[in-house]
Amino acid sequence: MILLCGIPSEPPIAMVAKALEERGARYVFFNQRQFANAAISFEILNGSPTGSLQIDGVSYRLEDIVGVYTRLMDYRRLPELDGAPEGSDLYRYCAALNDVLARWSEICAARVVNRMAPMGSNSSKPYQAQLIRRYGFYVPATLITNSPEAVLAFRERHKRIIYKSISGVRSIVQTFEDADIARFPALRWCPTQFQQYVEGYDVRVHVVGEKVFATKINSTATDYRYARTQAGEAAELTAMEIPDNVAQGCINLAAGLGLAFAGIDLKFAPEGEVYCFEVNPSPGYSYFEANSGQPIAQAVADYLIGAA
Amino acid sequence: MWLVLCDANDASATLVFQALRVRGIAPLELITADALALAEEWEHRIEGDAASVRVRLGDGRTFEGGALRGVLNRLFTAPTWHWRAAAKADQEYVQQELIAFFLSWLNALPCPVINRPTPQGLCGRWRSEAEWVCLAQRAGLPVAPYRASSFDRIDEMRGEKRLLVPGASTRSVIVVNGTVAGTSVPDELKGACAAFAKEAETELIGLDFIDGAAGSWTFVGANPMPDLRWGGPALIDAVVEALAMREQVPA
Repeated sequence: MILLCGIPSEPPIAMVAKALEERGARYVFFNQRQFANAAISFEILNGSPTGSLQIDGVSYRLEDIVGVYTRLMDYRRLPELDGAPEGSDLYRYCAALNDVLARWSEICAARVVNRMAPMGSNSSKPYQAQLIRRYGFYVPATLITNSPEAVLAFRERHKRIIYKSISGVRSIVQTFEDADIARFPALRWCPTQFQQYVEGYDVRVHVVGEKVFATKINSTATDYRYARTQAGEAAELTAMEIPDNVAQGCINLAAGLGLAFAGIDLKFAPEGEVYCFEVNPSPGYSYFEANSGQPIAQAVADYLIGAA
Repeated sequence: MWLVLCDANDASATLVFQALRVRGIAPLELITADALALAEEWEHRIEGDAASVRVRLGDGRTFEGGALRGVLNRLFTAPTWHWRAAAKADQEYVQQELIAFFLSWLNALPCPVINRPTPQGLCGRWRSEAEWVCLAQRAGLPVAPYRASSFDRIDEMRGEKRLLVPGASTRSVIVVNGTVAGTSVPDELKGACAAFAKEAETELIGLDFIDGAAGSWTFVGANPMPDLRWGGPALIDAVVEALAMREQVPA
């Protein structure tokens, strides 16, 4: 039995559900918006959890669940909780259900895509960059500072630099321009992350277990995710082959971070260096699959049922 | 130079700082989270195979990560009280930014750090009760029965516990680098406590027990930032030994 957790209409989880159906795999959907029709309980014996999950009146043994794909949103933003006070029975039940489900998925024996703890490295990009270096990738020269002088010296050395958030919040990459110097007084209040701008082309690599899907991104935007805003046109995505050593490096990196499924952002520089900017632990791969035709959802489904 | 990093009101960190000074660990500085949040100048770099950090505090004290010999890290969070006049969304953003920053520069320190930072806690990994129970059972500790249900009226995110009854008296055991310190720890539990700390991959960790029938001890939780005052001289010895050990750059 496979457990899918999220909102059924969201493309990444909908595509995995379709792939599971095509394989004839049994799955059950925890529709987060219908939390009131679900319940979970477990106990821990000999270091392992045992218990049951009820959805729409049907009970499932937790021990029978061999794969979990979770795309849960922040339950506090569910439309079903609009107007519900935090102390209300509805709100508290929703919180408890999401909490117990998360606790179980962290310790269960099933293949979980992905567990929460290994996803944590993405909460600090420079921390994650220090881990990435262990797997043979270049990382851009990075400076985090509250010193205007240090920023100017860094730009003098690298000529073109960008800035972006340190955490995963408000993460939009922007080129540092002369006009930004006027904002230096604000720097004093919070150290900010600057990086050398790396020339080359972007490649998104999705790793599912041992499978690798590389997608080349053609865009002139500093941050291709915002290509329409930054460059006036959408990025163009095409499937590509990458060298075996790079593919193996991606597999090792995802495994080393404890991620069964990862979206790895690479840049292939003109001199042949391969830079890694970030490893996304909950990739919204459907955008890439829709444009490149790569069978990523099928790979996730295979992983969940143990066929990969 | 050795550092003790902690909140200004962390009494047990202050006690250990004083004990380390008495034992001749010098030069030794105590730096608070507030002082770090308001530092005059930060420079944290990641270039090539190296990561570095340099900070100049408001009182003029300066340290470079590569020159440090050991750090007792008791940082729980990054203070943002100096942002209290900002909009709530901006305060939350700055909090996330500073925690992410602290995680990175602490990780870049090449010297022994007790505890090394993790994404689940600046001073070591905090886990859910369920995870602690799994580790404790595997380590062979006596554990209270653990059951969780979506019908429970318990919110772990608010610090509410399933195993620890409010008001119950607890006994604490602290494990540092394999050394078990604490008040009257039964000999038969020491091996399991050390095994638990190893499984938890946390160099300094506190284990909480409640008294059971006939004086038996029952595990009810753990955390990477225990009250160090429970450890006594054995704890100080273990901290000194752990801080004096050299290790390789972590990343």
